[in-house]
Amino acid sequence: MATMARSRRGGIRRGETRYGWLFTAPSIVIIGVFLILPIALAAWVSVSNWNGLGSPLGGRAQFIGAENYASVLTDPGLAQKDFGTSIRNNLYYVLLVVPLQTALALFLAVQMNRAILRGRGFFRTAFYFPSVTSSIAITTVFIFLFTASGTINSILAWLGINGPNWFADPSGVIHNLLAGVGVTSPPPVLDVIGPLGITWWEWLSGPSVAMCALITLAVFTTSGTFMLLFLAALQNIGAEIDEAALMDGAGAFRKFFSVTLPMLKPTLFTVLTLGLIGTWQVFDQIYLTGGGAPGKTLLTPAYLAYQTSFKDLQWGQGAAIAFILFAIIVALTLLQRWILRDRDAKVRTPKPARAARVTAAVSEGDVR
Amino acid sequence: MLIGSSGDAETSAVQAAADAWGAETGNTVEVIAASDLNQQLGQGFSGNNPPDLFYMGWDQFQTYASNGYLEPYADSLSNADQFYPALKDAFTYDGKFYCAPKDFSTLGLIINTDMWAAAGLTDADIPTDWDGLTAAATKLTTADTVGLSFGQEYARIGVFMNQAGGKLVDGDSITASSQGNVDGLKYVQSLISAGVLKFPPQLEAGWGGEAFGLGKAAMVIEGPWINGALKNDYPDVKYVAAELPAGPGGSSTFTFSNCWGIPVGSPTLDVTKSLVEYLTTDEQQLAFSEAFGVIPSTESGAAAYAEKFPENASFVAGNDYAVSPVAFAGASAVLGDFNASLEGLATADAATLLDALQGNLEAAYTKANG
Amino acid sequence: MTSLTDAEVTTRLPAPPPHRKKRLSPRVRTIAVFSYLMLIALAMIYIYPFLVAVSSSFKTDADATANPLQLIPEVWSLAAYNRLFTDVPLPLWTFNTAFITVIVTCGRVFFDSLAGYALSRLQFRGRTVIFAVFIGVMSVPGVVLLIPRFLILQQLGLYDTYGGMIIPLLTSAAGIFIMKQFFDSIPVSVEEAARIDGASIFRTYRTIVLPMARPALITLFILSFQGSWNEFGHFIVSRQSADLNTLTTGVASLVSGQLGSGNQYPLQLAAATLMTIPVAIIFFIFQKRIMNNTGGAEKG
Repeated sequence: MATMARSRRGGIRRGETRYGWLFTAPSIVIIGVFLILPIALAAWVSVSNWNGLGSPLGGRAQFIGAENYASVLTDPGLAQKDFGTSIRNNLYYVLLVVPLQTALALFLAVQMNRAILRGRGFFRTAFYFPSVTSSIAITTVFIFLFTASGTINSILAWLGINGPNWFADPSGVIHNLLAGVGVTSPPPVLDVIGPLGITWWEWLSGPSVAMCALITLAVFTTSGTFMLLFLAALQNIGAEIDEAALMDGAGAFRKFFSVTLPMLKPTLFTVLTLGLIGTWQVFDQIYLTGGGAPGKTLLTPAYLAYQTSFKDLQWGQGAAIAFILFAIIVALTLLQRWILRDRDAKVRTPKPARAARVTAAVSEGDVR
Repeated sequence: MLIGSSGDAETSAVQAAADAWGAETGNTVEVIAASDLNQQLGQGFSGNNPPDLFYMGWDQFQTYASNGYLEPYADSLSNADQFYPALKDAFTYDGKFYCAPKDFSTLGLIINTDMWAAAGLTDADIPTDWDGLTAAATKLTTADTVGLSFGQEYARIGVFMNQAGGKLVDGDSITASSQGNVDGLKYVQSLISAGVLKFPPQLEAGWGGEAFGLGKAAMVIEGPWINGALKNDYPDVKYVAAELPAGPGGSSTFTFSNCWGIPVGSPTLDVTKSLVEYLTTDEQQLAFSEAFGVIPSTESGAAAYAEKFPENASFVAGNDYAVSPVAFAGASAVLGDFNASLEGLATADAATLLDALQGNLEAAYTKANG
Repeated sequence: MTSLTDAEVTTRLPAPPPHRKKRLSPRVRTIAVFSYLMLIALAMIYIYPFLVAVSSSFKTDADATANPLQLIPEVWSLAAYNRLFTDVPLPLWTFNTAFITVIVTCGRVFFDSLAGYALSRLQFRGRTVIFAVFIGVMSVPGVVLLIPRFLILQQLGLYDTYGGMIIPLLTSAAGIFIMKQFFDSIPVSVEEAARIDGASIFRTYRTIVLPMARPALITLFILSFQGSWNEFGHFIVSRQSADLNTLTTGVASLVSGQLGSGNQYPLQLAAATLMTIPVAIIFFIFQKRIMNNTGGAEKG
């Protein structure tokens, strides 16, 4: 339609340049001043030795090249180790949250899509409501649920399980499993320094028990939103798949994987992309649970960047971490898009529109 | 004025003192209790809007001073020569005495006397060495109460390392991985595995004082600030404070101090200095002592304090052999990392933890002095 | 990332499900019953945390810790709520949050729809470039902006002011994108008629376009309201005074705890409960639109 409008040139198009700029001006100014300019300023800080006193553009801040990046990426030391630890923590978070939230959302959507389901509205509300509450409120609730004598452990006690002291337990679950079979110290092959200054044994710790609580929280708050996405997709393709017939016939399970799932592929990729981007941005939850405690096993790059700048006053280093995180997220987005382009040949949706829509979705969530 | 308060008792006492000074001089002072002092200070400085006067902790002082954040005003105070020399040293950077010590506190062993008696213990059992401590903690441990508790951090566990003869910095060399430190950590581990020591988070308490007040721990290692907190929140708990038991390497405890920091180039310097002079008078410091238990930072003040509060004399006595925790610029991040690793102390290898600390401290020390 | 995908949800929801067969075999019935029970169990799990939070907020400190499972308090206690309105400046936090949310929401709906309209309908030089830049900045994740935002606010002297907290949030590339998509999807004939009749562009926009865009504006309203009410990161780096605490930063300071404030779960849970109410109200009012969007924004 835009093309149609474009072809109708004439008197009524007068003044459009003026109004076009006038209408977009407020947004251009705000986005320019509070988004583009800040990024430029932070890029400068990340290659400077500004110590937080006075203006970063003043005389005290000097250009020091890639030193800040080197100290978190290549120079052995505490900064590199902290960064490595935060990457490890976040990797486990991503590896667990993304598949779990996607699988749970898909499962819920398939259940909800049954023709005969009554009370669909109630279930949708129940599953989606956690997604609209603030991360602060819901994290507060989860901290309470996961205290040593809290709700979760009371339920576990019913089942005869002695629950851990969730948010105070820094031990990694893989380490704990290994300890269960008698391996408590690293075998020599793993006791060497791996990437980013932490040992392979540390890399293989698994998420800490505390992190498991946060993983549960993430799955809880996001599965409802993704369920709605899957539900929408399922309803769109509903005509093509007769679900009741599928269930009557043999191997409904197999047919789900061979018929339904392939048709859901575009939505699946959307959900995975959103999940990947979102899980690298955990910040609020870390802030509330004590900035990485216990034992730095909840430290994430997003929080580390904040802490390095605002608490340790190493502004350049903090900005450098933020940019590295940015690079990770952009790389993952591009990777996802590339895979999407590769496999998506048959999908009707035009690709550029799809990609843009995904990003619209991602960024409207966090207000800026 | 931005303070890192230990609770309502401290906040209102500081506000009252500031108001009294304001009434005398015609100024007004707003006291803000920070929820996270370091973060708020950092944002204040880089926002070009630091508080006119603030608590500057012993652990952050060197970092702030070396970054040029602080005004070195303390030498010109009228009462500059009345402070404890050790405290002046703690707040001296590059030969300049930067900020006036606010007070100091040492660590002691706080004992719940009711539980003590219920366990059949007498005054003679008050531990003077590690064996005595283990024995008392074991007797005090019941189904609902753990014998001993303290924060899972260098600022508490470090005293055991020192009592075993360890030091983190000896002269110009870093000695974090020395045998004394290892022994200290191992002793703490033995208390954990015996089930007589639990850390506050395991007891669902924010800090040792809360665990103690709630009756979840029969003994805690805390400083005199616990007096104010207990008086306010748990007035019914009866307790005594004793000196920390000595280890194989002798007696040791930590002394902590805050100073009154003034931002560099402060436009209100003269007024703020007069406020600091007011706040550090013996009289005013004793008023703070009464409100929340800290010990005056001046020698005459501390003497008066020991007389006035004989029950807290053990804290003053501890100052004879107390050391200040390691705090050169950059050490605070390293100790933060060490604190994080201490959260895994129950199962960790003591020597490995200390080796990591050794490496990080060496790097930070070289950076600070290089 | 609680609300990450709302735009996605609201922009591409489908027609209602097609009519299905009514007759079902016994086998399908059995499966359906199982599926039902499972869904009910799952829904309980999803709802339970909120029930625990609300009920524990009416408990005493000791009761909340001792009986974390019980949904009915042993003794009903309003102590937590009392403290929220006396010791804790909850009314101030609420005012700040409400004040900021109202301005940000109005600003966004206005500026985003203006820009979206211009980018969709008006022909002018630079349009493609502007649109490309907006699409580009949309992919900058929020957490990466924390330090940069702080730096620029400090440079502009807006740090620790309402201005610094509000202005950066007044427009959003994603909102502009949503509005542009919407305008692309509706026919131009009506407004062209108005324009031929001699109405100015702004007047056409105000009297013809905006009323037509109501569904999309409501979507944008919901997203902006929820987004700014729940915003946390930006308020951590754009202010430090206690007077400028919002509900999110204020409650966070209660939870992450000043030394000695202890674990006052009922207090924290009461605050969490109260701060959720307005979002919940919006959610229930616009439930249909949020989850089963019938409006015009679905066309991608």
